[in-house]
Amino acid sequence: MTSTAASFTTKELMATFISHQVRDGERVAVGAGLHVPRAGILLAHMLRCPNVRLYLAMTFTNLIKEPKMEPFYTTYDIRPTKWAEAYVFHEDFQEKPRFISDTFVVGGLQIDKFGNSNLIGVGKDFKHLTFRGPGAVGTTSMAHYVDRYYLFVQSHDKRIFVDKCDFISTVGWGQGGADSRKKLGIPGGGPVYCITPLCVMDFEEKSKHMRLYSVHPGVTVQQVVENTGFELIIPSNVPETPAPTDEELRTLRERIDLEGMLRK
Amino acid sequence: MISERKSLVIDESTAGGMIRDGMTIAIGGFINSSHPMVLVRQIIQRGIKNLTVVGAASGGPDLDLLIAAGCIKKLVTTYMGAEHFCPITPFFRTAAQRGELEIFECDEGMFYCALRAAAQGLPSTPWKAGLGTSFPEVNPEIKVYSDPITGEPVLAIPAIVPDLAIIYAAHSDAYGNVQHIGTGFGDRAMWRAAKRTIAQVERVIPNEEVRKNPLATSLYGVDAVLRAPYGAHPFAGPGYYIEDGIHIREFIAAGNAYAKNNDRRPFEEYLQKYILSPKTHEDYLEVVGIRRLVSLHEH
Repeated sequence: MTSTAASFTTKELMATFISHQVRDGERVAVGAGLHVPRAGILLAHMLRCPNVRLYLAMTFTNLIKEPKMEPFYTTYDIRPTKWAEAYVFHEDFQEKPRFISDTFVVGGLQIDKFGNSNLIGVGKDFKHLTFRGPGAVGTTSMAHYVDRYYLFVQSHDKRIFVDKCDFISTVGWGQGGADSRKKLGIPGGGPVYCITPLCVMDFEEKSKHMRLYSVHPGVTVQQVVENTGFELIIPSNVPETPAPTDEELRTLRERIDLEGMLRK
Repeated sequence: MISERKSLVIDESTAGGMIRDGMTIAIGGFINSSHPMVLVRQIIQRGIKNLTVVGAASGGPDLDLLIAAGCIKKLVTTYMGAEHFCPITPFFRTAAQRGELEIFECDEGMFYCALRAAAQGLPSTPWKAGLGTSFPEVNPEIKVYSDPITGEPVLAIPAIVPDLAIIYAAHSDAYGNVQHIGTGFGDRAMWRAAKRTIAQVERVIPNEEVRKNPLATSLYGVDAVLRAPYGAHPFAGPGYYIEDGIHIREFIAAGNAYAKNNDRRPFEEYLQKYILSPKTHEDYLEVVGIRRLVSLHEH
């Protein structure tokens, strides 16, 4: 049964969409700071994917027997290590990236039409940036090696969605084209979807140019176009992003997001 | 007759004396956890300058404090934020935007390549992630070359050899057998890369305790051991205390006053109160106060 549009938040909708990207049996890195992707991955685990290995706060674990998730916000918090089946030494990140995760979520100060993203900074001169970003963290290496990844941003405007990133910290589809990653000599399936508070976008198969995939309930195609700084491919039929089911919402609220971070 | 096995335990001032102007220093931990803060404060108290700091991957407000105090010339890290406390640390952002800080721009994979090359005495480590990105452009020390076997394009990540690694851990015996609680983040990689290592620990434990569980010995042989209870404060000390969010927010607020209004006074007050006036670690803990410290329990 499907819920009514008024009864869930955009964050719950985005988390549910992300949850459907997780495949059972894979390794999945759970970032702590981004509440929406974290909730989405845990939702997938609780409802559909009992065999994922969660990389969480420097440990690997499986949480299907946890009736409720105690809140944790950070990658360095020792407290979630009580669930650990294994510790991960952080340098394993370089020793074998594919042991960390099969998929990943990448954010960006800027994202361009081919899904390249930038966490370095905004400006023309690296020595004098107009806005210095936090840095790439592990996104460059993880996005390179994983099977596929997802772009996720917490706002959707023309400052983020630009024709060309000032700097690229994570390669999506490079200069465009389905063979663009191969041409650069890089493996991995690249970005699949870009999830924002307005919509979901994917990449047109041949050009790998960003395309509108679905709009969230109450959002118009025009609104997405007006807030995107490059020409987005708009298919003739743009569906609504699927609403969470009652079971998904209940699981989110009663087992995962007890503090209501997705309802704020 | 053979002499006794030598204790490596030193005091705060001796440890601080091992850090000199212009050195390359690796600082262990991760974001808001496990930084050797007694030694970080020593750097500031001694007015040590022109350091190349290999911050943790990922870095945190510990490095922002050193930038604020003017100790860092060049910074090697992959992230400068404090997660839910602050997305980008203020002194880093300001110094980077003004061109006042040399930055070795890299991501976590590249970061560990640099330390691995150092540990193995190699000039560089090849790495693929970063092809097609701006890293070789914004960091000219990273070069693209063709692999001589296959001809494939590869990045060369140069070795970064710390003169000294300063690491925080839960325990060590007097002989430098260090045992972390928790994963120890990337501390092993720093220890392997560095010429020398000081471990700052909560407790110095008997050698017999180490021998009960040698699997827990994460660094098997450091050069010096400094005992400092609550020594990671205001950051978390795994197994002992969580981070002091109130204190971290106080520092971030002082940084924001500078970043947003060019007002350094709140930071100068912070510096005086917590770092320059307390002469020893015990003085610092008295300023923080016993009630705050005991409130930081893990469970």
